[in-house]
Amino acid sequence: MMRSGVDPAGGWDAHRLTLAFGIAAGLPACAAIAERGGAFSILLAMGLAVIWEAVFARIRRRPMAWDGLVSALIFALLVPAQTPFWQQGLALSFGLVMGDLIFGGRGRGFLSPACVGLAFLLFSFPQAGAEDLGLMTMIAALGGGAILLGLGLLSWRVVLGFCLPLLAGAALSGAPEAVAWMPNATLALGLIFLIGDPVAAASTNPGRWAYGGMAGALVMLFGSEGSALASVVFAGLLASLFAPLMDQAVVWWAWRRRRNRRGQHG
Amino acid sequence: MELRFRKGRDIAFGTAPRALPPVPCAVGAVAVMARDFPAVVWDPRVTQGQVVRQGQALCVDRLRPEIALVAAASGRVSGLHHGARRRLERIEIEAEGAEETEFDVKGATADPGSLRALLLKSGAWAAFRTRPFGRIPAPSDTPSAIFVTVTDSQPLAADPVAVLAPQMAAFQRGVAGLLHLTEGPVFLCQPPGPALMTAQGRLRVVHVAGAHPAGLAGTHIHHLWPVSVQKPVWQIGGQDVAAMGQLLESGRIGARRVVSVAGPGVQAPRLVSVPLGARLADLVDGAAGGKPLARQVISGSVLSGQSAPFLGRFDLQVTVLGGAAPAPSVWGRLLSCLPRLRTGATLPMERLEAAFPFDIPPAPLMRALAVGDVETAERLGCLDLLEEDLALLSWLCPSGCDYGALLRRVLDRLGQEAAA
Repeated sequence: MMRSGVDPAGGWDAHRLTLAFGIAAGLPACAAIAERGGAFSILLAMGLAVIWEAVFARIRRRPMAWDGLVSALIFALLVPAQTPFWQQGLALSFGLVMGDLIFGGRGRGFLSPACVGLAFLLFSFPQAGAEDLGLMTMIAALGGGAILLGLGLLSWRVVLGFCLPLLAGAALSGAPEAVAWMPNATLALGLIFLIGDPVAAASTNPGRWAYGGMAGALVMLFGSEGSALASVVFAGLLASLFAPLMDQAVVWWAWRRRRNRRGQHG
Repeated sequence: MELRFRKGRDIAFGTAPRALPPVPCAVGAVAVMARDFPAVVWDPRVTQGQVVRQGQALCVDRLRPEIALVAAASGRVSGLHHGARRRLERIEIEAEGAEETEFDVKGATADPGSLRALLLKSGAWAAFRTRPFGRIPAPSDTPSAIFVTVTDSQPLAADPVAVLAPQMAAFQRGVAGLLHLTEGPVFLCQPPGPALMTAQGRLRVVHVAGAHPAGLAGTHIHHLWPVSVQKPVWQIGGQDVAAMGQLLESGRIGARRVVSVAGPGVQAPRLVSVPLGARLADLVDGAAGGKPLARQVISGSVLSGQSAPFLGRFDLQVTVLGGAAPAPSVWGRLLSCLPRLRTGATLPMERLEAAFPFDIPPAPLMRALAVGDVETAERLGCLDLLEEDLALLSWLCPSGCDYGALLRRVLDRLGQEAAA
C-alpha cells in the first residue's frame, strides 16, 4: 500500500482536517469579534486548549495535536459573553479533557468537546443566556458550514435530518411566533459545529439521518422552554450519546440483510 | 446481466497507456515470490545454479505438494532467497535460452480430473484465488462459482478487453475449461459493450460499469454471489484464463502477460508483454530511455501495489512514481507546509461511503478491523473482501491505517478457525 509515499489527490490527515475545521470556525469567530468584540476571551480559551493538548501530548508521548484550538474557538463563540472567565475556563477544561483528551484525542471519542464543556457550564452555573450573536455571525457560520459541506466533513444527511423535524414542527404548529426564535446564529453554529461534528455524529448513512432527526426534534422540544443555546447544546449531547446505538442498529441491520441475501441462492 | 455502480472513485493520476499492440519486452530475470500467496510455505524443487526450462516446477506447497509454481522463463536459477524462519521468499531465474516444457494435454478438455492435474502440474492452478481468504484453492476443492474478471478500474490500468482481443480463441477455450471445475455458475465480468462470449447454461456474462472499485472481482462477488466458508468462490483474471486456454491447446504454459507501465515517473505510458514475475527494472529503464532517475517502482497500482523488484503474480500494471510531479494547487501547497502526522484517528466522513460500493457500512467495518474485532468484521461481510478492495478506503482515511493489512490479519484468524 503506497499511501505513505504518494499523495495523488491530496488525501486528508489529522493536521489537514484540523486546518479545515479551523478555517470554517474561524469565519464566524472573526464575524463575532467584529460584531461584539470578545477577542480576548477567544484567545484565552485557545491558550487554555493549547496547554491541555500539550499536557496530554507529554503524558502520552505523542506528537502535539491542535484540535483543541478549534474546540476552544467554538466554545468561546457560543459561551454567553457575561460568564466570568474562571467559569469559562473550568467548563472548557472539563469539555476538552473529559470529552476528548481522555479518549486519546479527536476521532477516538464520541462526543464533541465544545458541547461537553457548554453542557457543563449550563448545568453548573445556570444563568440567563442572553443571545448576543448577530446576523453577521450567522451568515459567517453558514459560510463555514458550506465549506465543511463542500469538503464532505459535515454530513448533508445530518443537516437535512436536523432541519426536517424543525420544518415539520413549524408547519404543524401553525403559529409562526412559536418557531420565530429559530433562525439565529446560536442555532446555526450549534448545528454546524456541535451537532454536525463528525466525531459526535453517527458514522453510517442511515444512522446520520436518525441522528440529525433526533437532534432536530430535541432542539424543538427544548427550545420551546429554554434558551436557544441550552436547547442546541443538550440536544447535541443527547443525540451524540445515542449515535453509537444508531450505528450498532445499522450494523445489525446490515448483518441481517446479508444473511437473507446469502440464503437466496443457497 | 448488468451491474452499475454509482459509488466509487476514480483517481486522476496521469494517462493510462492506450497504444496497442503491446511491445514484447525482453527481461533479464524473472522470479516467483511467496508474498503473492499468503499462508503457504513453499518447498524448493530446484537448487542454486540449476538450469530450468520454462514450465518446470520451481517449488511446491509444503502441505499440498500437488500445487506447484513453475518457471515463467527458461534459464539458470540465480537465487533462492529465504526470509523469517528460513521460509522461502523468492526464487530468481536469470533468463537464457528458450526451452519449454511440453505438458500432456490429452483428455484434459474432456475429463475434469485430468484437467485439474494438468493445471496443478503446469502452475496454472496458482492463478486462482479463493474468496474467502484469498488463497490458492485446495486441489480437491470445488467452488460454488468462478468469477472471470475482464474489468480493471485501478488507476492507470490497461483496457483489459483490448488486451484480450488478440487472444480471444484461447480465452474462450479457457472459459470452457473452467466450466469443468465447478458445478455452479461461471461469471464473466466485463465492461459494457459487446459480450465477449454468449451466455448459455452455467456461463453468465455480467456487464459492469462504474468508478473504481467497480472493476475489482471483490465488488462483483459481493453483489452477485456473497461467499461464506462453506460456499467459496474462485476468482481468476482474464489473461490467466487465456493462458489456460493456450495451455489446453498447445501444452505449453502461457507465461506472458500484457502489463501497463505508467505513472509520473515514465515519459510515455505503454503496454508491454512480459513473462510472469518479470524484473521491473528491465521494463522501466526501457520506458524512460535508460535515464537513471530517483524513482519508485511499484508492482500493481498506486492504491494497492507494493514496491518490489519483480512483478507480482496477480499484478497487471507497473506504476512508476517520481520524476516531474504535476504542480500542486495553492491549497495543496498550503497544506504541504504543515507537518504530516503519521498516525491519527479516523474521522467517519461521508466520502468513505461515497467511495465504497459494497453493502457494508464502511466506518463500522474500518473500526472492527482496526481493533481486531473478528466477529463484527465477519458479520459485516469481510469474508467477501481481499486487501485490494479496501485500498481506496485506506487512501481516503485520514488515519493512515492500512486496512488491507488489517483485513489480512482478520482473514488469517478466520481462516485458522475455519480450518480447525
